[in-house]
Amino acid sequence: MGFHIVVCAGIVPDPLQTLEPITGPQGPALKNEMMLPAVLDPWAKHALFEAAHLAAKTPDSKVWLVSMAPKTKLQQVMMSIAQKASFELVALDGPASGFTDSQAVAEALAAAINAISGLDRKRLLVFGGWESASRGAGATLQIVGERLGIVEQFQGVDELSVTASGSLRILERVEGGMHQISHCDGPPAVLGWATGSLPEPPNNPQVGMANMRTLMPALQKATAAGVAVDGKSFTSVEVPKQRRDTRIVKDASTDDIAREIMEWIKG
Amino acid sequence: MDTVLYLAHTQSDETLSKGALEALTAAKELTAQLGSANLVVAILGGDVQTAADSVADCGASKFLGVSGEAFAQSRYATDAAAIEALCRTAQPAIVLCGSSSRFNRVLPGVASRLGGCADLHATEVKADGGSTSITRWYYRQRIRAAQVRDKRPWFVALETGSDAPWITAGGKAAVESVPVALPESSLRTTVEGLQKPPGQTQTIRPDADLLYVAGAGWTKKQADGEAHIQDAESIILDFLGKTQASLGGSKSLVDISGTGQAVLSFMTHLNQIGQTGAIPRHPKGLSTCCHGEEPHAVGWRFIHERRAINLDANCGWAHGKADVLYVADAFEVMRKVNALLEKS
Amino acid sequence: MSQTTPSSDNGVERQCMEADVVCVGFGPAAGGFLTTLARGLTNEDGSLAVSSAVMEGMPPQVICFERAEGLSFGVSGVVTRARGIRETLPNLDPATIPMAAPVAEERVVYLLDPIGASRRPRTLRAIDRVLRAAKRAVGMQHDAVELPYIPPFLRKDGGLVLSIGQFNQWVGDNIMMSGAVQLWPGSPVAEAVIEENKVVGVRLVDQGTDKDGKPDAGFTPGMEVRANLTVIADGPVGPVGRQLDAHFGMPDGHHQRDWAVGMKIVVDLPESCPLEPGTVIHTLGYPELEIFGFMYVYPGRIASLGIFVPSWFDSPVRTAYRYLQHWMLHPYLWRHLNGGILRSWGAKTIQEAGKRGEPVLAGDGFARIGEGSGSTNVLTNSGVDEAWATGSILAESVLDLLKQDKPFTKESLEATYVSRRRASWVESEGRIAEHARDGFQKGFIRGILGTGLAGLTQGRLHLAGLPPRLNERVLSLQEHFQGKISEAEIGQIRKQCIAKGESLHDALMTRAGWPEIPYDGQLLVSHQDALLLGGKVQAPGGYADHVVFVYPHLCETCGVQLCAEICSGQAITPNPEGGVPLFDREKCVHCGACLWNCTQASEENKESGAIAFRAGAGGLHSSEN
Ligand SMILES: Cc1cc2nc3c(=O)[nH]c(=O)nc-3n(C[C@H](O)[C@H](O)[C@H](O)COP(=O)(O)OP(=O)(O)OC[C@H]3O[C@@H](n4cnc5c(N)ncnc54)[C@H](O)[C@@H]3O)c2cc1C
Ligand SMILES: Cc1cc2nc3c(=O)[nH]c(=O)nc-3n(C[C@H](O)[C@H](O)[C@H](O)COP(=O)(O)OP(=O)(O)OC[C@H]3O[C@@H](n4cnc5c(N)ncnc54)[C@H](O)[C@@H]3O)c2cc1C
Ligand code: SF4
Ligand code: SF4
Repeated sequence: MGFHIVVCAGIVPDPLQTLEPITGPQGPALKNEMMLPAVLDPWAKHALFEAAHLAAKTPDSKVWLVSMAPKTKLQQVMMSIAQKASFELVALDGPASGFTDSQAVAEALAAAINAISGLDRKRLLVFGGWESASRGAGATLQIVGERLGIVEQFQGVDELSVTASGSLRILERVEGGMHQISHCDGPPAVLGWATGSLPEPPNNPQVGMANMRTLMPALQKATAAGVAVDGKSFTSVEVPKQRRDTRIVKDASTDDIAREIMEWIKG
Repeated sequence: MDTVLYLAHTQSDETLSKGALEALTAAKELTAQLGSANLVVAILGGDVQTAADSVADCGASKFLGVSGEAFAQSRYATDAAAIEALCRTAQPAIVLCGSSSRFNRVLPGVASRLGGCADLHATEVKADGGSTSITRWYYRQRIRAAQVRDKRPWFVALETGSDAPWITAGGKAAVESVPVALPESSLRTTVEGLQKPPGQTQTIRPDADLLYVAGAGWTKKQADGEAHIQDAESIILDFLGKTQASLGGSKSLVDISGTGQAVLSFMTHLNQIGQTGAIPRHPKGLSTCCHGEEPHAVGWRFIHERRAINLDANCGWAHGKADVLYVADAFEVMRKVNALLEKS
Repeated sequence: MSQTTPSSDNGVERQCMEADVVCVGFGPAAGGFLTTLARGLTNEDGSLAVSSAVMEGMPPQVICFERAEGLSFGVSGVVTRARGIRETLPNLDPATIPMAAPVAEERVVYLLDPIGASRRPRTLRAIDRVLRAAKRAVGMQHDAVELPYIPPFLRKDGGLVLSIGQFNQWVGDNIMMSGAVQLWPGSPVAEAVIEENKVVGVRLVDQGTDKDGKPDAGFTPGMEVRANLTVIADGPVGPVGRQLDAHFGMPDGHHQRDWAVGMKIVVDLPESCPLEPGTVIHTLGYPELEIFGFMYVYPGRIASLGIFVPSWFDSPVRTAYRYLQHWMLHPYLWRHLNGGILRSWGAKTIQEAGKRGEPVLAGDGFARIGEGSGSTNVLTNSGVDEAWATGSILAESVLDLLKQDKPFTKESLEATYVSRRRASWVESEGRIAEHARDGFQKGFIRGILGTGLAGLTQGRLHLAGLPPRLNERVLSLQEHFQGKISEAEIGQIRKQCIAKGESLHDALMTRAGWPEIPYDGQLLVSHQDALLLGGKVQAPGGYADHVVFVYPHLCETCGVQLCAEICSGQAITPNPEGGVPLFDREKCVHCGACLWNCTQASEENKESGAIAFRAGAGGLHSSEN
């Protein structure tokens, strides 16, 4: 029996962009947020690739991608991501801001997962990134799990394998570059992925076109998801302007430089 | 009277980590700032007595503990149940702990279960006129925000390096053992153990005094038109061995390693600065052959003193971001540094 | 998109599928084409106006492949009259497009040389002296003279200033939302598939290859997409357009010898800057006479500004980057820019041959639109609107043919698309512009006179001069610096630069009297930092190098290695070991300048050089240019 894998993935500004906070009507926001090119949240993107990979080698599996973001931005991101993995999109029209609280986002996602028709809880794996590149809270997936009543949860996952008996062997990141190895009886489980080990799949237009059949309808019918402020408020939001006065040591002999560095390290 | 719950877990040797002791400093300060608050210590682990004793004189009004084999390891179901039980007993307003992979993977879930809220990766917590606020970073350590929350309990995990560890002679703590009812389903996961990083060399040392960042320059053709990868490897390893520094790599360098090219064999994506989820917080940082934005701007955010060695005097990423930029050949300089370290 | 059996060439099995229309590239030309087409595919009541020939009962399958990873990574000015755009979108409200504004004020400014390093003929130096002497009378301020009169052909009354990135994104979003067209960014088209002189579709580039295109981990051969009509909208240096030029030949007397590389930045202007949104400034005269500049002001105190280095600039010292910085530092501009912050940076080629560079516009199974089809007008400095208009003209013709169930043959496309295009304003204005810049081939003053003449006389008068090929005209460094820098010293500088793997221009310009740039880390940054900070240049792995030195023996004896000198991204550098230059794909911004900046003529075709510029992935990640 295959898996029903639901990948929760938000979108974030392309990490190469310069970001600047502003105060908007709903609290802090990014300047020009709608203009910045966006990408699927990197760790969640790995989760999607892992999901597609697992589904492809486990017959009778299916992948859903649940994503909340402003509709037009989500559509832009789908144009590239849809070519890389097969999935059915569940789109929620809502904020993609890192300043929106995870609790509210998680509740919207959990409700959307609950509403997926034909989803078999006994085969359910909830995937996502262990942290977003926007909020970096590491909270959303855990709360989704709690809302769905799943207490088999793993974060910072770099590897998942399914044993012959059908149990899950999971490697999670822990301190010092090490991994904790756990075994879980089987689904349902929540896995927050780190980098994983799969390379980025090539762009495959055929995959894209197959996805398109559900993508555009999902985007067209995406309804505005209510996201509560949830008792969090910001007292300051800023890019620290800590420019250092860099002393530039030019034309010094390598001996002198080495000595200086040595003293600095020891000092 | 509000309760500040200081939460910790034991390490495999039953002690508390440096990060945990740093959070205790913060918890004591916060309790003091809140005026009328009450500090309660809660520890979970295989056996928590040793750990509780080590902080017995911290001024807590009460010590709560959850002990048992099921709590010796990090596992969501059991940790969540234990923390839930501790909180239901202590009824805290604020729960403060040191950041760790174990706590990070469970606190937001428990907070939600208790109707509260959680913030991981806080870099500061303080109370002003009875109101608690924290500082944390958004968008990959690019934007700093100070925030307050209405919901309670509020869980705050402090990043290591945010405070000085609380150091004490210890004593004898009277630990009140809190019972935890584990639902049957909690035992669906078993922890097998830890897996060492690939390769024979341990290069990531979160507690090191120095972060040493290597950039892609180490693999590039040098003045003689050749790349010197073997040299680079031995210089870097030699330096790490002698200084016990932690090794970080820029994205470019880590990516090259990923392509299977014969390049810095000990460098994996876990070393990559700015993208591993772990935020390096070392007192000093030395970046070599590195031009990238992330290592200098983001990965360095919490590195206190920063120096860089680069051949390019115009390296825009070191300007304004490092304290000192040595315009020199890193191969030569580091070789000499190693020789000096050898002598001393 | 029905799937057919895999096709196989050279033993490589390719996935293959069928569509009705496939479009190569997504710029304003494709924007005009797809907007008009998408609208016409359904009737007002939502029913199908025409149906697919490859998937029965379905709407026509229309797919557009764009090379860049997003629809917003283009590079352009832009100021435009937007006549064609408004014809398609009569209710267009600039306020709905980020960074758009109506044109409010136009200035054309002659910049004098404030530092005395530019190459100015004696006559012009004399004129400059007169201007300086009569400062008050001619209204000279900040070493510049604002022209009292802007000829009508240059004016953009009623037009718009736009960001091409934001405009393309906006157009693309709307097209996608229609559901009638699929747009796939990150999908470079390697070539058109031509069978018996008929274009039957396209082939995408292979993925999972090494630098040389050989299969590597995760090898995925590029898919073949067969279509009844292939629309080539791949812009000024598009490889598919050039493939068709090579295959079908250029019409008699047509050539593509006029080019320019435009390099631009987007800047947060300082608080003190008084320029209003919609201000349009064009400059001439500095940093070199051949280099024109532009500055357009957007809402929110943002400006888009840059310069053009043209093919008829005979200097072998031709780094747009350094010239751009000297230009910004001109007192006339610097007073507005000082204190500003670089937001974005980019570079791209313009095909300036215009009408005279027009290729075969249509043939069996294909049609060409946009700049690659010779639509850009050098007289009015306009390309976006023209490209858009050719696209929408084609779409109307395609809709007619679909409705009449006619095949896309040379005849049918000529009877519809080509004849409509001939009757359009793009054609009539293109004819006026055809020889407008010929005068520049013989010098700056002649050029300015020629442009003015052609413009004012509607093209009846112009100064003749068929442009020579670039490989016939570029001077050697020795010739260029004759009397200024000795041959021995040039040799010395060359040796030093090559040892460091650097191109020569910076060292030579400094030696020739250009001051060092005072880097400030926020607006004046090093070229490498501009790539990361402003251009955010990136290349995904697993693709072959798209810039290839196809005749290494020519590079070895080339001498000046102009490709490295012009390279907008410092992606081409001299090889410290000598011989063929090096190419670093991760720095390439796909500007296409290397294509037309080769000093050597290839053996088969004297019009092209020793370098190939192919379809490739990656490049700029900045969406504001
Ligand atoms: C989506 C995205 C996310 C990113 N996130 C991250 C991230 O989280 N972390 C990260 O690290 N990067 C990240 N980057 C990339 C980052 O911005 C830089 O491009 C990258 O870090 C550059 O790596 P580098 O400095 O090692 O290499 P290079 O840019 O190649 O620089 C090499 C340097 O070495 C110097 N050098 C060479 N030889 C010597 C010598 N003998 N002595 C002294 N100096 C020498 C050269 O002068 C040069 O400055 C990201 C990029 C993208 C696209
Ligand atoms: C700096 C600068 C300033 C300019 N200023 C102005 C101005 O002020 N006003 C004005 O009207 N015009 C201006 N232009 C000219 C104008 O930008 C062009 O004429 C116009 O963009 C042409 O549109 P196009 O659609 O034909 O081609 P392009 O805009 O070049 O679009 C072609 C698209 O095809 C893609 N492509 C290429 N090859 C492939 C392939 N093999 N596979 C898939 N996709 C491919 C490209 O990535 C590109 O996105 C300026 C140009 C530059 C460079
Ligand atoms: S490509 Fe042309 S300009 Fe460049 S080195 Fe070769 S011959 Fe010279
Ligand atoms: S190599 Fe790339 S950046 Fe350099 S000139 Fe050619 S296209 Fe432009």
